[in-house]
Amino acid sequence: MSDTGNTLPIEITVNGRRRALEVAVHHTLLDVLRDDLELTGTKECCLVGECGACTVMVNGRIVDSCLMLAVEADGAEIVTVEGLARDGQLSPLQQAFLDKGAAQCGFCTPGQLIAAQALLAGNPHPSVDEVQEGLAGNLCRCGCYFQITEAVLAVAEGEHR
Amino acid sequence: MQSFAYERPATLAEAVALLDAHGPDARLLAGGTDLIIRLRDGSATPRVVIDLKRIAELCPAIRENDGIVTIGAGSVMADVAASEPVRRHFEALAEAAAVVGSVQIRNRATIAGNICNASPAADTAPPLLVYGAVIVAAGPQGTRRIPITDFFVRSGVTTLAPNELVTAIEIPVPARRMGAVHVRRTRRRGHDLASVTLCCSVDETGVTRLAYGSVGPRPVLCIDESGVLADPDGADEAKAAILERMFADASPSKRSMRASPEYRLAMLRVLGTRAVRTAIERLATERAVET
Amino acid sequence: MSTRFIGTSPNRVGGFGRVTGLQEYVADIRLPDVLEAKLVTLDCARARIVSIDKSVAEKVPGVRLVMTAADLPKPMPRFGPQLEDRPVLAVGETKYHGDPVAIVAAETKDSAEEAARLVRVEFEELPAVFTVAAALDPNAPLVQDPSLRPKDPLASTNVLREHRVGWGDVDAAHADCVVENAYSFPMVTHFAIEPHAFMAAPEGDGIAIWSSIQHPNWLQKIMSKLLELPLAKVRVYAPDPGGGFGGKQHTKYEPLVAFAALKVGRPVRLILTLDETFQAVRRAACEIRVRTGFSADGKLVFQDVKADYLIGAYCDIADRVVGKGSYPAAGPYNVPAVRILARSILSHTTPSTAFRGFGNPQVNWAVESNIDEGARALGIDRLEIRLRNLARKGDAFIPFDTPSDGNWDQAVRRAAELIGWDKPLGPGRGRGIAVGIKSGPTTGLSYSTVRLLADGSVVVFAGTSDMGQGARTVFAQIAAEELGAPLDAITIVMGDTAIVPYDQQTSASRSTVLMGNSVLMACRSIQSQIRAMAARLDGLDESKITVERGVVRLPDRELTILEVLKPGLGKLGGELIGNGEARKDAEPDHPLGGAPAFFEFNCTAIEAEVDHGTGDVTIVRHVTVSDVGKALNPLQVRMQDEGAAIQGLGHTLMEHYIFDDSGRIRNLGAIDYRIPTSMDLPLEMLSETIENGDGPGPYGSKGMSEGALLCVSAAVAAAVRDATGIAIRDLPLTPERVWRALQEPVEQAGIGRNAR
Repeated sequence: MSDTGNTLPIEITVNGRRRALEVAVHHTLLDVLRDDLELTGTKECCLVGECGACTVMVNGRIVDSCLMLAVEADGAEIVTVEGLARDGQLSPLQQAFLDKGAAQCGFCTPGQLIAAQALLAGNPHPSVDEVQEGLAGNLCRCGCYFQITEAVLAVAEGEHR
Repeated sequence: MQSFAYERPATLAEAVALLDAHGPDARLLAGGTDLIIRLRDGSATPRVVIDLKRIAELCPAIRENDGIVTIGAGSVMADVAASEPVRRHFEALAEAAAVVGSVQIRNRATIAGNICNASPAADTAPPLLVYGAVIVAAGPQGTRRIPITDFFVRSGVTTLAPNELVTAIEIPVPARRMGAVHVRRTRRRGHDLASVTLCCSVDETGVTRLAYGSVGPRPVLCIDESGVLADPDGADEAKAAILERMFADASPSKRSMRASPEYRLAMLRVLGTRAVRTAIERLATERAVET
Repeated sequence: MSTRFIGTSPNRVGGFGRVTGLQEYVADIRLPDVLEAKLVTLDCARARIVSIDKSVAEKVPGVRLVMTAADLPKPMPRFGPQLEDRPVLAVGETKYHGDPVAIVAAETKDSAEEAARLVRVEFEELPAVFTVAAALDPNAPLVQDPSLRPKDPLASTNVLREHRVGWGDVDAAHADCVVENAYSFPMVTHFAIEPHAFMAAPEGDGIAIWSSIQHPNWLQKIMSKLLELPLAKVRVYAPDPGGGFGGKQHTKYEPLVAFAALKVGRPVRLILTLDETFQAVRRAACEIRVRTGFSADGKLVFQDVKADYLIGAYCDIADRVVGKGSYPAAGPYNVPAVRILARSILSHTTPSTAFRGFGNPQVNWAVESNIDEGARALGIDRLEIRLRNLARKGDAFIPFDTPSDGNWDQAVRRAAELIGWDKPLGPGRGRGIAVGIKSGPTTGLSYSTVRLLADGSVVVFAGTSDMGQGARTVFAQIAAEELGAPLDAITIVMGDTAIVPYDQQTSASRSTVLMGNSVLMACRSIQSQIRAMAARLDGLDESKITVERGVVRLPDRELTILEVLKPGLGKLGGELIGNGEARKDAEPDHPLGGAPAFFEFNCTAIEAEVDHGTGDVTIVRHVTVSDVGKALNPLQVRMQDEGAAIQGLGHTLMEHYIFDDSGRIRNLGAIDYRIPTSMDLPLEMLSETIENGDGPGPYGSKGMSEGALLCVSAAVAAAVRDATGIAIRDLPLTPERVWRALQEPVEQAGIGRNAR
């Protein structure tokens, strides 16, 4: 039953960079991002798909990477928080989060940013309700929700080009 | 979690063969939002995990053809909630799919997986029951169709054979105009598992269909053909009496953390009453639109 | 005097790391040689450990260590901030569900997990206590070995300590109206999104420890004693925690990880799962009985409060929570006669520890609810009754103690205005208002060092833990203000005991005041060195020169600090160093060990709507007004208040541990322990501050960040009562519980009934 040696090769594109690696079949995408690729921006918390701290984009859709096996991501395009800034420039959302104070302890922030990025990609002018529903899968214990919503709306309104 | 052999069949035939070969040692992986949790907590310890997502025949398409909407087994909740044919014909199903978990969950969890898990609290089950869905299953013997009313047995158990898997869900486009709604009870407004999940439809001939879950080992469908529930001017007491008969089979778990049996039964009544009212209103709107 | 930085809201220092994912929390730091650790715990609360067989576990490939109590020094080393009662590993007996009996260290997480599963523990479940009633039963099994407190007459009970506070004569007081009720406050957990993480590495003749700890120096002290190493050989790295709320204040598994690392000679890392954090930390539950006496005109005549706090199996800081939290239980009011008896009751449950509010929310819930009821019984407006009794600035509302330090009535009036207290209510709606008070730090010691470098940029060393409250930013603002350095030329260094001078702790909302004053002092020291420099350069007497807020004023002109610094340092360059010390000494005769440095005062007003069919409570409007002295960074202050308010809504509406009959936590983890999501917010939140510059901190600031949590429950329950006529005295007000209460007949003021 404990066959810890079972691995498979996969190819994933992470933040625009193609990576080929051998992964244990029972390791999640979260494990592989953090431990194999050393992209520790994506966080581990509840491991049951409730808190969203592990949120990444897979082929343009947000998922809880703790509930996805790395092997399932073979061939996929992944975006993590490390991929949001371009050429050293923060994305409009990242800048908005800073300007609106949408991060306190910061642990939920990577997941919030990815979820917000996907929300705006699908709905460039969301209402407050739509923002709150779109980010409901990202828990913030510090209680930054109002500031996060403000940041997302600010970007939607073009405050941060 | 412990390791396993990972199979990624490209065809339905391969998948069926694998399932047949490995039997209870295999688990099917679609969205993974339930299975991965079980693998991690040790409540599932398969030797083989069969990933269904590369199978062409299970492609996640939702198509309408000849009065039937076919939801491919790979369809995720987000797709079901956004699908034009689903929103048009099966409003309550779109509503239910839209509240399963968070956006992250809805981007992965499949409707087929939801019903195969057969949690009594599965939110898509009541609408599927109300709309009369048919489950298309494939096995070594070929394909068969299982009416959804014959599908659920009890928590975690369906009438699928161990070597069968769901390939699609077919829902007949309603022949009559209807208004329908999905409602549920949760512990907070944010995403949660339901302590009562309920769907009600009222059609223009006065037939009311009401299905509910999380108040017993499996979701239950009840039909009222008397016309009393569907009657916008019907007396509250008469409606309450019919609803009582419908809820007579409810047997909520005494051990549940989420809600006590008394509360569940009370909420069944509250939600049932409200859902009937909303279904009537929606039918009226439907009729108004068309006239 | 205009300020350039104080009172503004520059972007968070450390914000860049947070939005890019570059910020390294403990779990993100991996040393090259590190072993991954996993705890072995039992599926049982209290159990006698019969035997532990590690033979199978040890054979798992990659496993380097399976450590049990047998591998640790004898007698078992024990630690704790108040009592040294907690063993490094359970020895002979586990005392709560989640008490570790062994630790595994292996090359990979997989091997560690597998080996942990294979450690065979034979155990025998023992009778245990999980409630106040059970713990107080004369035949109850004792949670703690009486030999741990040999001179204590309570040692043969599960009462760890009794705290009595009082003045006047409650029994002789005459009241026209007496309200007496029993209340309960649930067991809740911190649920920081970052689970606790610990790492230890042997380092030459000492050890290095990484921890998500809020008190690095306190941890250093405990580790130094346990490992018998000089302080200078124990290096604690404390990266910014991903949320603390008090749950990361005190030493938990660092000793275990350190002993493991020393035994195996390699770094060892332990990252808790979220479920394990529920087993590791929580708030004390409480059962409170309050008798409040009023005169006919609504003046408080007496407060008689009995609070039984259910703490866990080990003391941690729980008893301090009880003593300090219950101390101002009579409220921010002038009350002629007060009697408070608060008890710390041990139980076989997760050790309770500090949690935002520190014992105050529990008694506040009861006392404020009673005042609400008294107002109704007397026919007096519930806002008015508070204004009639509220202590005014300078009132010694707790005799011989720190007097009221704020215009608290201002906060109350403003909150009432914002909620529209006198406006008509829509159908099905109700309003509630409540006030909360918490004592600031009673002792304290914060050192800091500020270095003004040759180009005018600044490095600040401050040992505060920035867990999201924004301490880094505040200190940067102070340094910028005083030294005239731009904010982006200031580096704040925290979290390394080898580099950063001593800070007692980050708790009690103290850091802006204590460390802030320390940083201010260090900056002033640099200013005086600049003054001396300017005097030397210009051949002037120092008395002719002032240095203030980055500006050097000479008799004939003004210069920036940099314009003096450059020529002053000359060819050799160099830097100026200033040290600061903010000290609040202990007062041994004070019941709390010292008088509070300030009070946090908050008024919360709620408008709520109740769905009578389902019991759902919707917060339509949530108003929170805090008395903060001076908001050094208004945005950060607002975020702390709103965050505290939302956290308060958590334990008010949805959070509680659910146990089975054997004391096992049933709702471990995020699926069945509910905290507020972005969809559970008040429909409208209004947060404001009262700033009268009357705090002891820099620029008149007070500490804040706990106030807005204190009275949320009482305000919400009052609004629910206003909307429905029913009084609920047990938290949380889940939909089911509200529904249940609605099914019972509306009751009169008097002895309340406990709902399940």
